[in-house]
Amino acid sequence: MRFYYLYTVLFCMLFASCEELIDVNLNEANPRYVIEGDLSDLTSEQIIKVSQTVAFNAPVRNKPIDNAIVRVMNDKGEVYTFNSIGDGAYSASFKPKDKTRYNLSVTIGDEVFESSSYMNPYIDVDSLGIIEDVIFSDTVYSVTLKFVDPKDQPNYYKYNISVNGKDFIFSRVFSDKFNDGLYVTHQISDNRNDILIGDTVVVRRQIIDKPVFTYWNDVLSINPGSAAPANPTSNISNGALGYFSVSSAKKYGFRIKFK
Amino acid sequence: MFRQYVLFVVACLFHVSLFGQEKVSISGYVKDASSGEILIGATIQAKESNRTVRTNSYGFFSLELDNKETTLLISYVGYQPIEESINTDEQKRFNFELTSIGREIEEVVISGKKQNKNVTSPQMGAFNFTIEEIKNVPVIFGERDILKTIQMLPGVGKGGEGSSSFFVRGGGGDQNLILLDEATVYNASHLLGFFSTFNSDAIKDVELFKGGIPAQYGGRISSVMDIHMIDGNNKNFAAEGGIGLIASRLKLEGPIQKDKSSFMISGRRTYADLFLKASSDQTVKDSKLYFYDLNAKLNYRINDKNTIYASGYFGKDDLGYGDLFSFDWGNATATVRWNHILNEKLFSNTSLIYSDFTYNVNVNNDNSEFVIASKIENFNLKQDFSYYANNKSTWRFGLNALKQKISPASLNANANSAVNSINIEKRHGIELAAYLSHEWNPTYWFSVLYGMRATDFMVQGPGTFYEFDRDGEAISSEKYTSSEIVKHHFNIEPRLSASFILDDKQSIKTSYNRIVQNLHQLTNTTSSLPTDQYVLSSINIKPQYADQVALGYFRNFANNTYEFSVESFYKYMGNQIDFRNGADLQANEFLEGELLFGQGRAYGLELYLRKTKGKFNGWISYTLGKSERQFEQINNGDWFNARQDRTHDVSIVGIYQLSNKWNVGANFVYYTGNAITFPSGKYTVDGRTSFYYTERNGYRMPDYHRLDLSANYDPSPKNKRFASSWSFGLYNVYNRKNAYIIDFRENENNANITEAYKIALFGIIPSVTWNFKF
Repeated sequence: MRFYYLYTVLFCMLFASCEELIDVNLNEANPRYVIEGDLSDLTSEQIIKVSQTVAFNAPVRNKPIDNAIVRVMNDKGEVYTFNSIGDGAYSASFKPKDKTRYNLSVTIGDEVFESSSYMNPYIDVDSLGIIEDVIFSDTVYSVTLKFVDPKDQPNYYKYNISVNGKDFIFSRVFSDKFNDGLYVTHQISDNRNDILIGDTVVVRRQIIDKPVFTYWNDVLSINPGSAAPANPTSNISNGALGYFSVSSAKKYGFRIKFK
Repeated sequence: MFRQYVLFVVACLFHVSLFGQEKVSISGYVKDASSGEILIGATIQAKESNRTVRTNSYGFFSLELDNKETTLLISYVGYQPIEESINTDEQKRFNFELTSIGREIEEVVISGKKQNKNVTSPQMGAFNFTIEEIKNVPVIFGERDILKTIQMLPGVGKGGEGSSSFFVRGGGGDQNLILLDEATVYNASHLLGFFSTFNSDAIKDVELFKGGIPAQYGGRISSVMDIHMIDGNNKNFAAEGGIGLIASRLKLEGPIQKDKSSFMISGRRTYADLFLKASSDQTVKDSKLYFYDLNAKLNYRINDKNTIYASGYFGKDDLGYGDLFSFDWGNATATVRWNHILNEKLFSNTSLIYSDFTYNVNVNNDNSEFVIASKIENFNLKQDFSYYANNKSTWRFGLNALKQKISPASLNANANSAVNSINIEKRHGIELAAYLSHEWNPTYWFSVLYGMRATDFMVQGPGTFYEFDRDGEAISSEKYTSSEIVKHHFNIEPRLSASFILDDKQSIKTSYNRIVQNLHQLTNTTSSLPTDQYVLSSINIKPQYADQVALGYFRNFANNTYEFSVESFYKYMGNQIDFRNGADLQANEFLEGELLFGQGRAYGLELYLRKTKGKFNGWISYTLGKSERQFEQINNGDWFNARQDRTHDVSIVGIYQLSNKWNVGANFVYYTGNAITFPSGKYTVDGRTSFYYTERNGYRMPDYHRLDLSANYDPSPKNKRFASSWSFGLYNVYNRKNAYIIDFRENENNANITEAYKIALFGIIPSVTWNFKF
């Protein structure tokens, strides 16, 4: 027997992945405290926020806690007491100094939450730039910061971005795991909206410590494909969510113009 | 230890020469008459004595005769059985050839009683399919896929859309040993899971073991899937091909010397990327998106006693965006085998096997140019013997040396790139194994297959090995040179299956096995990716192991037209691996510090009813199951559902021969959604809504179900050289939008409101195929 096969396939494919809103029945969990302290030398007024988690389908984003006692103490023994200014926010007036360790203590009722963060010195930026990318016929922009990474020590960087005067939102964190001691370029964009021609962009760059990097890196690693999404690793004790960071920081402005 | 095994082997050989001459034994091969392909599992029955034997995976059989004059009945599913009268008083070799029934639909009545292997064989938890048997089962894109068909059997959990991995009896996707002509295939998927790496043109058959795994297999704790490639037609030259919108295929086979040697070469390539060439955008034009497969096999029958096979597979997926970014991955395997018949009772196979899996990422943008490359490879030397002591007793024994090497992702950057090169140490291991198993049918009503496998996994230098504290921080390190053995992991793996035959139609079977696994895949996404890191057992990672017991009842009805079975199992899995939160698995020399170790358990009940003959055939399978894991540092140390835990899993497959020209097929699948982690609350950090997770895998994806239909129209008259036919397919007939991903987000307009959304991959997909042959 002798076969010569010729085999032709015609596909009529309706290959359209689709997205739709659904109802998911989620359990209600016992509330947990959330503490968010992002202190830096950019301003002389420091804010720490205290809140509680709420149910997934609650009509609010969180439950502010206004009866906490919030204190920060540095390794020289100086104590800064934060005063409630409403909506879960607490403020104190001081400017943190680099090469100093700061310890946080938050007391709510009979529960105490503690943390600590080391403020690393600032790493100066050498030059700024704008990058144009064409992704299938769309032209989008991102901004770049070039600098020399200090050699033989771990360094961690965090960037927040504000486009056209809107609130700063978290963009990226970097470690120097792959480029210790090199002339490094960090490319920053807005995770939610493309940066377009004519936009004004401000980038806040912070030199953070490792636990804060871990926290934000965990935030970035949770995506729809994660096998087991988990709460980001907090550097605050006693099961609180959130983080406490003291960093040296600077802001950089860009305007996206025609060449 | 090994000395004892060597002594045993020698003892067996002596046994042969001393006692082998008492009765007349015949041996030989059973082959397809038109192509010369060997037939695996064909039955040879001595009519007068009712003795029955089956061909092994090389088509070889050995039968002890009670009288020198006897009639043999040789049969194989899908083939016309033959009767041969033989008269011999000496050891002799017989080769039998069977003719395929082809597309005749009149039912072939096979005389003799031994069509009930599923009842009488001591093996349980096993399935065997030839590629012919599954060709009418509807599949996605009209591409026959043995991996997708396997997933419709009881106890085999489907990976779901976009995944080629499968989960056997609650085990993980990396706990299945997938062999292609004995070579390990590390990654069995193309295009991120939409196709399997097995081009059905090149495949002869597949055997799946999910329990009672025989002692000749080892290395993965959940299952063994043993796939055989076709050998190549040694009678006539033949070509077969296909041209489609998604892929094209071509297979050539034929004799090199007629009846003595033959070759087979088969290739497949997708070309969706050709459409990219039509783009006006230069970057898109230079982009790549394709995969290809190449299977090749040569065999050479040196003489009556010696045959050599050489086979290989090479496949690659290639994705690229202009010259900015490219990503490719693929498997390669090579197997050389030497079948040697020492005498009518002793069959030997020697295999030398190589296989690897590599991936490469090239990044080439303004300020960074680098290449990430990873490779895992093994060299394997196997010696297997089958000793057919008599018709009641078959011994199998052998030795195996497996050398494994993992080159984890390393990063090579050029001198002025903005990234540094990173080289993560390679890891080496050698696994020595010896096994012995005995299949014994002392009486009509009892048969048993028992055995033992002993493995010594040696963690080899060179390398730096770290010890870690409870938080995963390195506390000490030690350097080893290349000649040093860092650690031995020695394990004994007992195996046992037994069947108690109640009568011709029904039996009760039971099995126990322990299996050990020394290669571990680290997956922290819901679908496994080519970039998943592999690790070997080490000083921190202990070998995974599974202990499984199973009990089943097997019954055939209506002259073996229906096969029914119910099996229950309990499996304990030790030294299971998971990760710390936010674990860094890439290019991390302290990787082992990110791992957590725990245990698992799975149990279930499997029902299977199959109709094997007649105009209508197909099967129904149902699995009721539970699979859980426990880790001290996850979920407060409580047991949680494994992701692939499926309470219910149903598959129905039906194929009906309407007329001489038409056949129609349908399949329906339903399973409980995967266990998954969803948030139980929300909070705000940095002005963004964040989700609060409480319990690992505490929620469920929606139930998955789908119906597919197919129809084949073959109008060509018989005995004409030219023939053409049509195949029609409809995937997901009622357009069910099965959830691939469910995620949560802030409402665009009101940040106070959070919403859930799902992404579905496929709606209804029709396909049409035109085949012709001449």
